[in-house]
Amino acid sequence: MIAFIRLSVLAFIGLSVLYLLVATYSRSVRREKLEKEWDANPPEGKGDTERAAFIKDGMDHYEHGLKKRLLWLVFIIPMILMAVIIYFVDFQ
Amino acid sequence: MSGYVFWGLIGLVILGGGLFLHFRYPVGSKGRSRLKWAFRALVLAVVAVFLNYSMPSHDIVRVTNTYNRLTTVSWENAWAYASPDTGTAESATSRDVRFIDAAYADGSVVVYRNEDTGWVWPPYFKYDSSNLQAEAQNFKSTKEAPEWVVVTRYGWRFPFLSIYPNAIQMKAVAGPDVRIIPWVNIIILTVLALLALMIRRMWLQFRERMVDPAVADAGDFLDGIDARADAAHAEVRGLWGRMMAWFGTWTRKPPR
Repeated sequence: MIAFIRLSVLAFIGLSVLYLLVATYSRSVRREKLEKEWDANPPEGKGDTERAAFIKDGMDHYEHGLKKRLLWLVFIIPMILMAVIIYFVDFQ
Repeated sequence: MSGYVFWGLIGLVILGGGLFLHFRYPVGSKGRSRLKWAFRALVLAVVAVFLNYSMPSHDIVRVTNTYNRLTTVSWENAWAYASPDTGTAESATSRDVRFIDAAYADGSVVVYRNEDTGWVWPPYFKYDSSNLQAEAQNFKSTKEAPEWVVVTRYGWRFPFLSIYPNAIQMKAVAGPDVRIIPWVNIIILTVLALLALMIRRMWLQFRERMVDPAVADAGDFLDGIDARADAAHAEVRGLWGRMMAWFGTWTRKPPR
């Protein structure tokens, strides 16, 4: 039992670090995409303020979007995987 | 010599060797790129050996005997046994371990241990050692009337270390020549390759977005210093300029 608790705690810490890394990466990719989208075709007479607003708007959209929520799979997939392994190893 | 001393010494040797090579072949020297490739090959080899130990493989065998035996588990082979708190009776150096003897179709033999893996590495989450032992007992057969089973196992058999592969699962198969496709291994290796690619992409993104701009900023800063130095040089050109520069030293720090 104590081993199970230890595994849970360690897995939670490890997966949290992984989640933070993946979330940062994903955010970075999205910001880069928005920047490139603006720079490829900058609207006439719009400056840096509008560009910043455009990127902020896009990032707000991302923060509440589906992709952001899918990042929780970082926690969910290993748990499912563990359940599947236990099923196949111990109950087959 | 206890395990801590032994593995500690190995760690020190690795650390010392690494430091020695690092200073023997400094960055930019001739041996450095060869050293880099050697290091990469070493890492790859370690990963391969590690995976070879912990990934499942399949043997088609005939079970000949099942038993348990008080087994000495001390520091040199403890890494190849289950961690202490997973079920069987034990003292400090010996524990009661279940074993399964088996024979391949060609007559060579194999000995499996049958231990729970617990909530730790390798992540098989095996708790049904007793059941597996009962199954193995049930599969026991003679040379004359062989009953072939496919055993899923991980680990190695090293007689001089007294370590045994751990049997995970057993299933009856038609004969010793059944073809088994290692789906689990295919999936594991694919996922690992994808993960490695993902880590690489994350690292490149980090470099592109965080490190490179920081370096560029530092570059701009240095360029700025250069520009000021050039201006100072232009100022001291000519007698008048030199005079003014000299006067200037009274009021501000001299240009370096």
